[in-house]
Amino acid sequence: MSPWFAWVTQSCLLGLFGAALLCLYRILVGPGAADRAVAFDTLSAIVIGMICLLCILWESSLYFDAVWILTLVGFLGSAAVARYLARGRLFP
Amino acid sequence: MIAPLELTREILAAAAMVGGTFFMIVTGLGLLRFPDVYTRMHAAGKAGTIGVALLILAPVFFFAGSEPFVSFRGVLAIVFQFITTPAATYLLAHACYATRYPTHAGTALDELGRWMPVVPDEDFGEE
Repeated sequence: MSPWFAWVTQSCLLGLFGAALLCLYRILVGPGAADRAVAFDTLSAIVIGMICLLCILWESSLYFDAVWILTLVGFLGSAAVARYLARGRLFP
Repeated sequence: MIAPLELTREILAAAAMVGGTFFMIVTGLGLLRFPDVYTRMHAAGKAGTIGVALLILAPVFFFAGSEPFVSFRGVLAIVFQFITTPAATYLLAHACYATRYPTHAGTALDELGRWMPVVPDEDFGEE
C-alpha cells in the first residue's frame, strides 16, 4: 500500500467519524422515535463503511463478511421500529 | 516503482472512498438540518444508500485479484443494501403517516391525506 493511499483512507475514516457524530446528535435529541430510527439506520450504514475502510487499512478481508450481515440486521431493526409505531406493539 | 495495475486499483478505490465519505457527510448534515421526519428520511434514504454503496465498492476495487470472493461478497452487500434501505424507509414513512406524525409547519400540500384518512383507535388491529 502506497503512503498517499493510506493517508486518504485515514482521512475518510475521520470524515465518517464526523458523520457518525451528527447521527449520534440526532439519536440523542431527536424529537420522536421515528427520527431516532432513521438516524440509527444511517449510523448502521456508516459503521458498514467504517468496516470497509478498516478492511482496506489492515489489508485483510476477514471482516468483510460483517458487511452484508450488518446490512440485513440494520433492516430488521428499522422494520421492527416501523411495525411498533404502526401497531403499538411488536408481536401480534 | 509501483506496478501500474496496483496504482490503478488504488486510484479507483480512493475515488470510491472519497465519494462515499462525501455522501455520508451530506447524509449526516441532512439529518442534522432538516426540520421534519419526512425530509430527514429523504436525506437518509437517497444519499445514504449511494454513499454506502460507494464505500462497499472501495474494498472490491482494492482486493481485486489478490483476495478471492471479495468482489462477490461486495456486490451481494450492495444488492442487499439497495433492496433493504428503500424498503425500511418506506415502512417507516408509511407508519409515520398512518399515525399522523407531525409535519413541518411550512408544508403546503398533502396529497396523500385523501387516500389515507385518519384511522380511529379501535381499528388498530385485532386484540
